[in-house]
Amino acid sequence: MNNIINRLAGSVSSVAIATSMVGATGLMLAPGSALAQDGPVCTSPVRILAQPRDGLTLLEEYAAEFEELSGALFQIDYMNEGDRRVRSQADASLIGRYNIYYVDEANLAQFASSNWIVPLMPHYPAEYDFDDFDPGRVATATYDDTVWFAPIMGGGDLLVYRTDLMEAAGLEPPETLDELFEVVAALHDPANGIYGIGLRGQRGSGANVWRWMPYFKGMGGEWFVDGEPAMNSDAGVQATKTYLDLFEYSAPGTRTGSWDESTGAFRAGQIALIIESAPLAGITLDSTQSQVADRVGFAKPPAPLTGGGFAHGFAIGERANQSDAERDCAGLWIAWATSREQELRRLEIGQAGELNRQSIFASDLFAETFGEGLPAALTETAEVTQVNFWQHANWPELGNHWGIILEELITGTRDDIPAALAELEAFAANLSD
Amino acid sequence: MFRQKSLPYVFLVPTILILMILAFVPLGYAINLSFRNMTLFRPDSSYVGFENFVNLWSDRRFLNALWVSAKWQVITVTATMLAAVFLGVLMFETLSPRQRNIMCLIFLVPVLLPRVCAAFVWRFAFHPLYGIFTYPYRAITGEPLEILSNPNLALWAVAYVDLWQWGFFFAVIIVKLLEALPHQPIEAARLDHARTWEIHAYITLPMLRAQLVALTLIKAIESLRSFDLIYVMTRGGPGISTETLDMYAFSQGFIEAGRISYASSMAVIMLLLTIIIFTIIWKRVRA
Repeated sequence: MNNIINRLAGSVSSVAIATSMVGATGLMLAPGSALAQDGPVCTSPVRILAQPRDGLTLLEEYAAEFEELSGALFQIDYMNEGDRRVRSQADASLIGRYNIYYVDEANLAQFASSNWIVPLMPHYPAEYDFDDFDPGRVATATYDDTVWFAPIMGGGDLLVYRTDLMEAAGLEPPETLDELFEVVAALHDPANGIYGIGLRGQRGSGANVWRWMPYFKGMGGEWFVDGEPAMNSDAGVQATKTYLDLFEYSAPGTRTGSWDESTGAFRAGQIALIIESAPLAGITLDSTQSQVADRVGFAKPPAPLTGGGFAHGFAIGERANQSDAERDCAGLWIAWATSREQELRRLEIGQAGELNRQSIFASDLFAETFGEGLPAALTETAEVTQVNFWQHANWPELGNHWGIILEELITGTRDDIPAALAELEAFAANLSD
Repeated sequence: MFRQKSLPYVFLVPTILILMILAFVPLGYAINLSFRNMTLFRPDSSYVGFENFVNLWSDRRFLNALWVSAKWQVITVTATMLAAVFLGVLMFETLSPRQRNIMCLIFLVPVLLPRVCAAFVWRFAFHPLYGIFTYPYRAITGEPLEILSNPNLALWAVAYVDLWQWGFFFAVIIVKLLEALPHQPIEAARLDHARTWEIHAYITLPMLRAQLVALTLIKAIESLRSFDLIYVMTRGGPGISTETLDMYAFSQGFIEAGRISYASSMAVIMLLLTIIIFTIIWKRVRA
């Protein structure tokens, strides 16, 4: 075991020397050459459970590069967000098939406190410059003062709108909630296939609850006050009422729809504006994925909405990686997959959704690719971005429970908002016992 | 002599042993879990007696899931059997043997489609803006038709997909059963000027009583395992309007809470209810 660690340490120091000699452009070749001297880091294919990302599809084209670097190939199994959460939870707790899990801000505390993943930094090769990641994403990847994952995507919320519809109606992007209602009502034109807004109604801590939380926190809501559940507050009621009212203008199918339904309708040109997680911006600008690529503008969400700070990334599974060597192998894959070079490749083909490094955001290529609008909006929204969810291992349980109640409210199977929030409080009280 | 007597045991004992291990080990594990307080997040657990079972009866989602499961069973089994008998008799009466074979081939297609694929196809077909199923309504009224988001329609829509898969398949079985019946009683009835519906109501279907009961029980068992269809199409929603017992148990065990002991207690209750109800039905049918 010590031999392996020493060999890896040797590799790392060799890499550090090589890197300092050849500069940043030599980074990708350096680990490979160093490892070639000391043997492969990985002895078997790395198995990863992830959700579909354009950047990962691109990454798979460079599998041979990782094989040269590590001595092994890798296999990514994809599942959509909800299924990925379920599967990774079951696998991490009971099975251990996957070396690497795609985790997110919502289940990080649960995975970390259950010891389903291991701290990242002891196994993350230093030459891949973890400090280059956006500090907001690193903060989200940190739990209990420990970094657990390297980000593949993240950020806050953006208001993404149709410039052509806005100009035709003589409107400006809304800056307040009142203006939001006015603009959405003015642009809502179902007879011509245009709906005012796209929301998410499908249950889930990372689905309808995620989109409801900016209203809740923006209106002053708190999950707990002095250790007691505090959702059934004026802010909670008002936030829920506002969210339900907006559904009057939301596209058909979104009342039980997820990210796919709401963003899909926007990209198909059926929605006037949408407040969604920042990676949507890059997707809407990609003409291969969006029919409105040349007609979109970006702004920060209307006040007082808080941007939902989030980050998704890769963490090392505990069960499938019992030895340090296996963890080093997984750490190497994570470092390689989230490296600056991979981000540059994504940027070169216009994938903005999976960029996380400060050096990339500051690059000339980023400004050339996305113009001034998007970078400016990203800077503005960063000012209002905050963590909206309850940062606790029981968050998925609480968030998912509220997701079901919220879906009932959205679809009309219940209509008493204070009673719904009271039920949530009772549930939360049991959780925090 | 000894060889002749022992030969059946040589074949039977290993098979039965394997079956018993496969069936009873997980069952015993589930029952054991149901009396504990184990979660996915906490490896240590202790026995809590009947606490999980007691808690279930004050859980509104469990009670709702029981009711939804009962509705699901009644709707899907009844609809499948009625549609299958109707289509089977229709094919038997109106088509030539060659035409029947062609129709049977076509009718087999839906059930050959993997359940999850069928669920995705139909979920898209029911989409209010793009769905082919909702297109006529959109074309006539100019309004989108939200089926899977409507708590009053969602269960019926999912049951329709179940019917689409199994109704045609069972119709094929029934037409083949009808073809296998002796011709004499049917010809005799025709000579006596019996109407077509009378022939089937009083002669063929009573002759197929045992087979129809078996088909009904098979469909009932199959309907209990519709988790994948419901999960893909509605995830139990809108709200909890299509949340069956297996869906809720999975949700508690793996989606929402990781409460695998609580989920196991639901599985045990489902098992007991199934055994009791099926035994009663079977005994009544035999009587």
